[in-house]
Amino acid sequence: MDLTLSPTEREFRDAVRGWIETHHPGREPDGDRDAFEFRRAWQRALNDRGWAGLSWPTEYGGAGATLVEQAIFYEEMARAGAPSMANVLGLAMGGPTVIAHGTEEQKQRFLPPILSADEIWCQGFSEPGSGSDLASLKTRAVRNGDEWVVTGQKVWTTFAHEAKWCMLVARTDTDAPKHRGLTYFLMDMDQDGVDVRPLVQITGEAEFNELFIEEARIPDDNIVGGEGNGWPVAITTLMHERAGLAFALQVQVQIVLRELQEQLREAGRADDPVIRQRFAQIYIEAQVLRLNAYRGLTATMKRGAPGPEGSLGKWHWAEVNQSLAELAMDVAGSQALVAEGPWPFRFLRSRANSIEGGTTEILKNIVAERVLGLPRA
Amino acid sequence: MNFDLSDDQRTIKATAREFLSARYPLAEVRRLALDDERGFTDRQWQEMVDLGWPEIAELGTVEMVVVAEELGYACAPTPLQSTWAAGLLGADVGDGRGAVVVDGLSADAGTADVLVDWDGAVVTGASVEPVRALDPTRRWFRVSGGSRDGGGDVEKGRGQAIVMNAAESVGVAARAMDMAVEYAKERKQFDRPIGTYQAVSHACAQMLLEVEGARSVVYWAAWALDYEPETAPLAVACAKAYAGDAGRRVPRAALQVHGGIGFTWEHDLHFFLKRGEANAHAYGDSAAHRERVAVLTGL
Repeated sequence: MDLTLSPTEREFRDAVRGWIETHHPGREPDGDRDAFEFRRAWQRALNDRGWAGLSWPTEYGGAGATLVEQAIFYEEMARAGAPSMANVLGLAMGGPTVIAHGTEEQKQRFLPPILSADEIWCQGFSEPGSGSDLASLKTRAVRNGDEWVVTGQKVWTTFAHEAKWCMLVARTDTDAPKHRGLTYFLMDMDQDGVDVRPLVQITGEAEFNELFIEEARIPDDNIVGGEGNGWPVAITTLMHERAGLAFALQVQVQIVLRELQEQLREAGRADDPVIRQRFAQIYIEAQVLRLNAYRGLTATMKRGAPGPEGSLGKWHWAEVNQSLAELAMDVAGSQALVAEGPWPFRFLRSRANSIEGGTTEILKNIVAERVLGLPRA
Repeated sequence: MNFDLSDDQRTIKATAREFLSARYPLAEVRRLALDDERGFTDRQWQEMVDLGWPEIAELGTVEMVVVAEELGYACAPTPLQSTWAAGLLGADVGDGRGAVVVDGLSADAGTADVLVDWDGAVVTGASVEPVRALDPTRRWFRVSGGSRDGGGDVEKGRGQAIVMNAAESVGVAARAMDMAVEYAKERKQFDRPIGTYQAVSHACAQMLLEVEGARSVVYWAAWALDYEPETAPLAVACAKAYAGDAGRRVPRAALQVHGGIGFTWEHDLHFFLKRGEANAHAYGDSAAHRERVAVLTGL
């Protein structure tokens, strides 16, 4: 057991820290479009340095970094308050899925523009009638020569309005058992059959979209992992979402926690024993989140792939992040009635944490069945 | 960066698991707890001495914590932890046994050769009276009067004793969880295993969240005590608060999963419930350690 960085890891940390200091682009501009282009430029700068696909194999434009180096990178980015990269879903989920299940041609075709943010990715999994029971999804893909014709509806598609490619899971065999009749496609968003409509959430923002698909076309070559094999490929995407994003998210928690501490002092609540207990408990939970993430990294490095215990981290993160925002609202007292400043937004946004990327209930099922070995209901 | 046990530490863990499960099956835990006046046998103590366990902290805090977790998992009645704690607080225990007095109470004081207080001062000439303990797997005594001599800088030793206690709670929680999961797989109601009901399976998932979280924070603290002393006080407070809570919350939930049988004297679960509860109150409770976290983070 050694929780310190090795000399090489320390060298890498210093390199990242130094580079961010000289290249930090400053504050993100207001407005969705401007903010997005700002993030695209930032990703390109990182990609020129070779760091956009940090953990990807070098033959596909990655840096072949270890998971620990990836963790160091996230921590340094968060520490410096650096903007996030534009192509989050392509980098964290789409790319790793293509690397794991794609053909050589697909890797050559799709991976470089993910890194350069020339082609943004979105995820077409959830449907209005299929949330937690994802495998029940109804979007249909029917073969027509060497292409597929797709009709259906997707929801909660982040970045759909910016995206070139959609990781789309559709039903290609209505006779097969529900998990077996699915296929994983890469759908070109730039066609008449795809209609993107913003979905306004309780914060008043439209971070997500609805996707209406009416006879959209996808060539046979854009199937990932083979026809009828969509479920395991989708699971790869979800495991990467839970393992990869979870690490970045826990770093974010550490930063917000420091802000909360500041706010607590400013509001004159630092002497309130109840507030002190609640703050300390959240601080401890945030440490647990961080330590579990590191233990998970060590385990993943030994095993070679993220495991189902990533579900534990995502579930725990949702709880911690929600209780952070709840405490911030309580600390604000009557000033919490005023929806200005970052906390009311964070409070409202955090309510989605236990739903997005797998509801806490589904994650508990996964932990119970796949980690503890309890019988399925 | 490697957050996992080393090969040597893994060997210590495997040896401890094997030895403790052979020597302390639950029937023996029950016999020692309820029917043995001292709560341990000379042979059991001698075997631990032969394994080198009383001095294991000399190998490192993590090594001691590995054994402490296994002692909790076995719920083994033994004066080993008290002996460790006395030594960590600076007592010259030699080949004998030690005990620590905190708030006038002391585990294993009746069979200890050396008695120290929380400041590391040696206590002599005190009156040592047995009390009926909440946790029957350990003998507790009320210590009064006598004189105190010596003591000094015991900051690190206190941290080690606290983390050792927290590690035991990790083991207690892990065993209670295993018992609950096992029971949830076997016990049938309405013609199916109760583990298929989400009210039960989600309670078990919650146990895993707490057990693994407690394990992470305890090993962090143990490591920090030896290798990153500037972080250690905060890490120790985090570990005791979180693992102390897990050590009682998990057995409570495990009792609920067991239903009526879990509430019987005949079932072994109550030993874990009581050991976890007792640990949570020793060496500062969770609220006290949370307050320490608040102070140490600058609040």
